[in-house]
Amino acid sequence: MLVKDCMTRHPVVVSPDLSAAEAERIMVENHIRHLPVVEDGKRLIGLITRERLRLKAEDIGSYDVWEITRNLARLKVRSVMIPLKQVWTVTPNRSIERTASLMTEHKIGCLPVVEEGNVVVGIVTQVDLLESFQIMLGLPAKGVRVTVRMSDQPGEFAKLMRVMAEQKWGVMGIGSFPDRRHEGFYFAVLKLVGADEAAVATVLNDIPGQEVVDIRTVV
Amino acid sequence: MTQPSAPILKVENLAVAYKVRGGEIEAVQNVSFDIHRGDSHGIVGESGCGKSTVAWAIVNFLGANGYVKRGSIKFLGQDLVGKSPEELRRLRGDQIAMVFQDPMQALNPSMRLGDQMKEVLTVHRGISESEAEDRCVDMLQRVYMPDAANVMRRYPHQISGGQQQRVVIAMALLNNPALLIMDEPTTALDVTVEAAVLDLIAELRREFDTAIMYITHNLGVVARVCSQVGVMYAGEMVERASVERIFAQPQHPYTQGLIRCIPTLGEDKASSALYPIPGRVPPPNARPAGCIYAPRCDYAQQRCRDERPALRLLADGVQVRCHFTEEIDPGQWTPPEEVEEMVETVNGQADAATPASTNNGKPILELHDLRKYYPVTGGSLRDVLGLGEKRFVKAVEGATFSVPKGSTLGIVGESGCGKSTLIKTIIGLEDSTSGQARFMSFDITEGLSERNMALIKELQMVFQNPDSTMNPSYTVGQQIGRPMVRFGTVPRSQVRDEVIKLLQSMRLGANYYDRLPRQLSGGEKQRVGIARALASRPDLILCDEPVSALDVSVQAAILNLLLDVQREQNTTMLFIAHDLSVVRFFSDNVAVMYLGQIMEIGPADAIYRPPYHPYTEALLSAVPIPDPTVKQKQIRLEGSVPSAVDPPSGCRFHTRCPRRKLLPDDGAICTRETPPWQEAGDGHRIFCHLPLETLASFDPVVESLATH
Amino acid sequence: MTVAPQTIDVPPSPSRWSRAWDNLSLVFASRIATVGLVIVLLWLVLGIVSLFWTPYPPNSSLFTQNLMPNSTNWLGTDHLGRDILSRLMAGTQVVLLKTRLPGENGWVIPGGVAVWGVIGALFFGSVLGLNAGYRGGWWDQIIMQVLDALVAFPAIVLYLVIITAFEQGDLVVVFAITVTGTPGIARLVRSLALDIKTRDYIRAAETRGESPSYIMFREILPNARGPVLVDATLRVGYAIFAIGTLGFLGIGLPPPDPDWGSMVNDARRFIFVFSWGVIPPSVAIASLVIGLNLFADGMREELGRYQK
Repeated sequence: MLVKDCMTRHPVVVSPDLSAAEAERIMVENHIRHLPVVEDGKRLIGLITRERLRLKAEDIGSYDVWEITRNLARLKVRSVMIPLKQVWTVTPNRSIERTASLMTEHKIGCLPVVEEGNVVVGIVTQVDLLESFQIMLGLPAKGVRVTVRMSDQPGEFAKLMRVMAEQKWGVMGIGSFPDRRHEGFYFAVLKLVGADEAAVATVLNDIPGQEVVDIRTVV
Repeated sequence: MTQPSAPILKVENLAVAYKVRGGEIEAVQNVSFDIHRGDSHGIVGESGCGKSTVAWAIVNFLGANGYVKRGSIKFLGQDLVGKSPEELRRLRGDQIAMVFQDPMQALNPSMRLGDQMKEVLTVHRGISESEAEDRCVDMLQRVYMPDAANVMRRYPHQISGGQQQRVVIAMALLNNPALLIMDEPTTALDVTVEAAVLDLIAELRREFDTAIMYITHNLGVVARVCSQVGVMYAGEMVERASVERIFAQPQHPYTQGLIRCIPTLGEDKASSALYPIPGRVPPPNARPAGCIYAPRCDYAQQRCRDERPALRLLADGVQVRCHFTEEIDPGQWTPPEEVEEMVETVNGQADAATPASTNNGKPILELHDLRKYYPVTGGSLRDVLGLGEKRFVKAVEGATFSVPKGSTLGIVGESGCGKSTLIKTIIGLEDSTSGQARFMSFDITEGLSERNMALIKELQMVFQNPDSTMNPSYTVGQQIGRPMVRFGTVPRSQVRDEVIKLLQSMRLGANYYDRLPRQLSGGEKQRVGIARALASRPDLILCDEPVSALDVSVQAAILNLLLDVQREQNTTMLFIAHDLSVVRFFSDNVAVMYLGQIMEIGPADAIYRPPYHPYTEALLSAVPIPDPTVKQKQIRLEGSVPSAVDPPSGCRFHTRCPRRKLLPDDGAICTRETPPWQEAGDGHRIFCHLPLETLASFDPVVESLATH
Repeated sequence: MTVAPQTIDVPPSPSRWSRAWDNLSLVFASRIATVGLVIVLLWLVLGIVSLFWTPYPPNSSLFTQNLMPNSTNWLGTDHLGRDILSRLMAGTQVVLLKTRLPGENGWVIPGGVAVWGVIGALFFGSVLGLNAGYRGGWWDQIIMQVLDALVAFPAIVLYLVIITAFEQGDLVVVFAITVTGTPGIARLVRSLALDIKTRDYIRAAETRGESPSYIMFREILPNARGPVLVDATLRVGYAIFAIGTLGFLGIGLPPPDPDWGSMVNDARRFIFVFSWGVIPPSVAIASLVIGLNLFADGMREELGRYQK
């Protein structure tokens, strides 16, 4: 799965000359937390977040009440945004794993998706990525979710697949992670449709060297 | 997958007014709708309902005297009303694209297509020339433009209308707009080209996640490309629902009426009837105080006349502007008595006389191998001196058929296929080049100036364009009376009475006698046009697209009127139309023309069922059917119609025929030899090399048609 | 069978009077046309009044020569001591109101020289233009070539040739205006006919077997009326200008009746002694021409709007 498959296309964007108050209103009304700032031709020049618009005590400590309102009214998006230099972006063809690692590494909530010339074509948020991982694991489909432990020898997974093919079960989602307690083993998580929980358990337990550690039916 | 995000476009309570001399006119009132990412929202309605005005309001193209009077237009969360022209310009350039009916409105005729397209990318985006070139070619390929790299170097006039529209769509998409507004983008195109463009739109919508606002009057098109539909009537949105709901359970009486007045492909005059909506759309300055539709509504009650209904949200997500929608059951609807009567008589007739016997009636018109060539003069010196080889546009080639008295022959085909030339030759506006043509016992190969009055009187014509069918300088009475005086069918003293009688049979009152054409609506003008054609009591009426310029509700009335005339006077008709559903509904026999050649001819129901000519098959699969549940085979023709100056050898259709490869050698025979006429029984003839058995083995294009 | 009774908002059928009023109200809809019409009407009224009454006899020298405007002679007197106002008023007659026939008995026909000249041009122009436009082919080629050849001559040369070939006289001026006006009107009518003949109602007439002359004069001409009349109004202005020019050259309308052009010419000779003399007749010519132009322009604008 690539960024272009999970991003939100045509994101709400603002121009740098918009007032900060207006930008805040747009975010509230549309239930979003990030707004790419673009100039002509949808070229990215910055990003604003709700945090960025929040008043900080140290900034306003020296103002009196009137000055605060006056300053706020005059405040433009251009002066509060995170400038382009400090904004992380991705291209539509990047894999979502790399995108996710970029986000966890830098602790950021959203990445504008840009093409050549920094033209904004979409936006990816943490929520978007979480959703696509859910889909990769087959969450939206109903069926049997089964976790199988197997050794990491070549051919182990093929055994499992062969059984799937024989039983004519459809695999809606698939994922794997290493077993922390047993070196050399890993878990495979499968989402099966058209199968019955009991049948799955017996059939899979019959595979030599493999063990069903968890099975549940998702409806 | 995601939560319902904020809509791309949200229009609320929009009212648009135009300032005119002595006040202002609210062209659009209380229009609300929203479009989400990847949604395609149709706006349908008859002409003059304010559909385009809504689109113009969104992009602020209202002109000097129009302005948004009330309401808001929110695009990506920002209100467009009240924005500075500079901001709006930027939005239009970057985020909103428009495609109009006429592609030439969007293309600069003096610039190469490539340069125009690249400009979109290079001017604001700072993309390099060569990079832009690559992207444009890529985009042209995505809209299935054949030979994209080459097209970039051409000028707009060097490509066909359908291709121009593709370039415009490609250009609109280059910017990756969030909202694409399409205003009747396929109305000017032929049905086969239209089908390809509609496929393209549906595909691009999925790929680019673009929100599409699709304006059209054609319910069939809506069913094919839209997910949501808003029905507009007289400047208001009267109903909004998903496309399946609109067609399956229309809630507003106007929507119900609209759906009742279009023929579905496969219906014919014997088994079904069209129910026009009475009256006409009120002009913006004379809208009723209560429900805007009340004067034409079958269910109108006192409350409808007093109180304007609001757009209500029903339980199942349908929005409708009607006080009594829950009480209205379209199943209980009874047609007005007049229409009912007609249907009964027609059905009665159908019982009495089986179709076969009507077909065996004495032929009134017989053509044998009729040809019409126009000489073309080239620009070279040899041509000017008359030394060059003589070349011809072969507009009609070898037309052979006969029309029994009292029956209707429908002629269908794309524009430029020679159907108009054929009837112009028959009526004598053009003289024929060779072949034989007999009307009753007269020879009609010569032009009008060679014919005598008795013959001229028997052939009359109904024209397409209601605005030019009547002379603006004379009253209705004078124009209908003229043929009577001219042919002496009625003594001069009785002309007035006779005209009034005729007007009444056209459902126009005697008070229309002294009206001038500009005081009539399009449908009324067309009625007068029919009355004028009937005034000399002709035996053969040639109808050149008599309903294609009219709104659907009026179209139904005119078709019913023509049927009525035919039933009463046993008139024979030739009926040209590009709408296959209308032709099927109206005709007893149908001829399909391609590039001057009749490809298939036979009884109407036989034409619409296998075996059929591959071209007929392609036409049928392209017809937009106003029912989103119908499954239609997708056969699209490649390329465009070749020039009639140099038609392809052998079978004229072989360059585009999708079925050619069924023959040995990929249909080499089609390029060499003229195909034979194959008889499929009951006067059904097909002009094709493919054996009848193969043709008969094709699956029907539209499933429901097979059951008819 | 089909339609419910068409009783919804049907306007009552208009009478001839109301139609005429409609057309007239078109003039008042445009401010420009109204101003033009007022100027033209002013001169028309002055001319009609002058048929019965002028302040003083226009041709008799009753006063001191070369007087500036004063309480007796509102616009002063000319070099022979004639009242300029009276002469101006009488000068309107030959232009707009009467045409003197040749011969000694002094018969006149109503309608001025400019008016008859333009009517002549209208007639010939329409006939030629319709034939060229509707019939096309050789008709078109020959008619338009001849007319183009005519246009190639400067108008003033044509006037001189025509007037020297015949003699001075009102009818000769009428003829000269007709000849110079015909090509323009023919071209206009031809282009309109080319457009109108593509309409379906012309096809309908042809399929009734109507004769070409019926189609040209009954079907096409009425629909070309608007632009042609506007053009004709403009041409009356040009014609008045041309009459002025001819009068100035001394070969215009024959004496004794006063004529604006010759008034200017007469006054010109004394321009260094008495410069006022040229002003009233020049202003008269200019104002009438401007009035007609404004009227025509306003009408054109309104007709254009109307047709949409």
